[in-house]
Amino acid sequence: MSKVLLKERIRRFYRGYLAVFLVPSMLFIGIFFILPVFLTFLIGLTSMDYSFRWTWVGINNYIKILSDRWASKILFNTFFYVFSTLALFNVGLALLISIATTHISDVVGSIFRGIWLLPRITPSTVYALLWLWAARGEGSSLFNWLAGFLGFTPIDWKLRYPWLLVILVNGFVGTSFGMIIFTAALKSIPEDYIRAAKVDGASTLQIIRHIELPLIKWPLLFVTAYQTLSLFTSYEYILLVTNGGPGLYTTEVWALYSYHLAFAQYGGIVKFGYGAALATVLVVIGVIMSIIYLKMFRFRELMSEPKIEVM
Amino acid sequence: MRRGQLTVLSAVLLIIGLVVGIVIGYFAIPRGPSESDIQKIIAERDQLKAKVQELMNSLKPGEVTVKVWTIGPDPPSEYRLKNIEIAADILNSMLKTLGANVTVKVEGEFFVRPVEWAEYKNKFYLDYQAGKAPDIYLTGHEDIGFLAENNYIIPLDDYVNQYWDVVYYDVIKTLWDAVKYKGKIWGIPQDTEARPLYFRKDVLRALGWSESEIENLPKKIRDGEFTLYDLLELAKEAKDRGLVERGILHRVKEGYDYFQFYLAFGGRLWDPSSGKMVFTEDAWRKTLKWFYDAVYEYGVISPNQFSGDWDNDFHLPFTEGRALFLSGGTWHKGEWIQKGLLTEDEFNNNIGYALHPAGERGGKPVTLSHPLVYTITKLAVDRGVADVAFLLITIATDPHLNSYHSVQSSHLAILYSQISDSRYTKDPFLHDVAYMLDYTTFIPNHPKWGDYSRIVFNILRAVETGDLGPEDAFNELRSEIQSELGDAVIFE
Repeated sequence: MSKVLLKERIRRFYRGYLAVFLVPSMLFIGIFFILPVFLTFLIGLTSMDYSFRWTWVGINNYIKILSDRWASKILFNTFFYVFSTLALFNVGLALLISIATTHISDVVGSIFRGIWLLPRITPSTVYALLWLWAARGEGSSLFNWLAGFLGFTPIDWKLRYPWLLVILVNGFVGTSFGMIIFTAALKSIPEDYIRAAKVDGASTLQIIRHIELPLIKWPLLFVTAYQTLSLFTSYEYILLVTNGGPGLYTTEVWALYSYHLAFAQYGGIVKFGYGAALATVLVVIGVIMSIIYLKMFRFRELMSEPKIEVM
Repeated sequence: MRRGQLTVLSAVLLIIGLVVGIVIGYFAIPRGPSESDIQKIIAERDQLKAKVQELMNSLKPGEVTVKVWTIGPDPPSEYRLKNIEIAADILNSMLKTLGANVTVKVEGEFFVRPVEWAEYKNKFYLDYQAGKAPDIYLTGHEDIGFLAENNYIIPLDDYVNQYWDVVYYDVIKTLWDAVKYKGKIWGIPQDTEARPLYFRKDVLRALGWSESEIENLPKKIRDGEFTLYDLLELAKEAKDRGLVERGILHRVKEGYDYFQFYLAFGGRLWDPSSGKMVFTEDAWRKTLKWFYDAVYEYGVISPNQFSGDWDNDFHLPFTEGRALFLSGGTWHKGEWIQKGLLTEDEFNNNIGYALHPAGERGGKPVTLSHPLVYTITKLAVDRGVADVAFLLITIATDPHLNSYHSVQSSHLAILYSQISDSRYTKDPFLHDVAYMLDYTTFIPNHPKWGDYSRIVFNILRAVETGDLGPEDAFNELRSEIQSELGDAVIFE
């Protein structure tokens, strides 16, 4: 056996040997990431309920979704919820807070950002309950007390403006993620750039517009993409605050609809099959959105090399 | 008076006193049970002893664990579990007396809010798949159809026949209808209740009603002279005069209570001959219109009632006298007392209760009962504890034990003998509402009842929030029930 061939064999063996180390993580990914999606898809092809029987119904559940009288309304609700929360809070306000708190003293900025983390670390039921109390219809509730100063009469905020409440509740929680990423990105911009701009006579607004924002473009795109997908599947706070109401599917979003049908019926009737088909649609929407983001934001480029110099 | 005369007078008075005392004593002191009653009790006990002996011989020495799940979700209903635990103590002492080397242990759970029915049922089904579900499972009678169809629970006819003379002859007859599915018995009634319409007497007094008028209101309702629209008028008057903030309160979450209004307008839920659910069009049309009118014409139900919370939008406005009517259940009385929201005196002085009025004059007033039942799961058979589990249920189905539950949680009797039980009879409320069972209906034991209920809730909530007008709501309700449930429902 030639020396070269031997070397090649050793190299191959070594590669194979290294691949063994990947097995646990591949198993982990397979069991916890791929299998649930696959199972969801399979259950979506059955009429499974609490009897847990795999009664195959083909694509009947998907045909039912097409003829579901509430599906279009719920889909519209979902997009409205995702993009409003995203634009106003998860990206919009997060960016605003990051910029504002990095332009003031570090200590004050950190305290301010720390306060914005509180909603994230408060147990969700307690947090939702506080909002519900604040938005109650009595004149003594927080919202009405504040509105009273402006001369407004008390109203039941949950009944009159359920979306406002849903977006505020989710937004206050969701802001912190973007805020942390943007702050880290802003802080990693070399100080030289800012100083040079100042020497050239740039105003704060000009520095933000022409130096900071272009330099945090990638984190901005990452947060947008990540939070879009995350909001599409989130329903926890909507469940706690309006439970999809107050009217006829007023604030029901796709993930909540799936949850309601699959798990949460007073009469104990559940529709795992139909709920799973609805969840599969959500997976498909997620995949499509991911592809769009990958293409639009050129993620390959993003992942290839660091776009921000690390000091 | 001379001394001799005084002595004679004292002796006469003493004799009269003794005679009067004996006469009073004869009539006033409760006499013991009659000879036939004693013989009956002895016979019951002997039968039970024989069954325990039979069971003892079939069990291996050691400890037998029976897993039990029960739910309130109102905390005062704790005797749903406690009675099974007491039954285990009784059984253990019997076993000990008989010299058995077997003890029975109850591993029980009693779920209360924030755990609601949906979560409780969900947990049961999922735990069942993991083999961790209980042997005795307390649930609403309406689940029996689904549980039986899917082999979660076992039929109990043989057991009931075996123990018939011990206690089951005593179960109130109509309750057996609620636990039957396809001709078999699948559960043992644990309790039942009525759903009264509570009203504030103090508010009616402030409206100028005399005491006799107030006391007569339940009778007027019973006779069909006071209708659901009279209810709206009265609630509106109280609200317009600033006596209350809210006119009528009903439950704040999905449930079955609001089906009473449909029944009051002459609706039917179930057709016993075909076993199908029923959609009475005229009644649903009127019901949806009534709810719409209540919110938007009379302003006496809050448009957000179905999104409220139990304390702030149901219990407190009523117990604090800020609302005139409350469509509740008998168990709410127990809850108010236990939570300290009302004392017994406050309840007696200020709260009245009646049936839910008829929809139209001359119609029949209604209430709705939802008996809870103990079922035995298939897992109990697999674990070899079904016989013990049933014996525990049998011992717990006792007039004294069940009366502890009835009185504390304000639920109604399941046994005829309970009605004369000393604990039960001391509670005037339970006595007063007993007649309501003559006007009651059960919800259907149909495997798809949950779907019917869910669709109604969604539409009703939309009517109250103003998303749908009454006619649109009716059309939506009809077409959704038709498309979801099809042949399972008779449209009439």
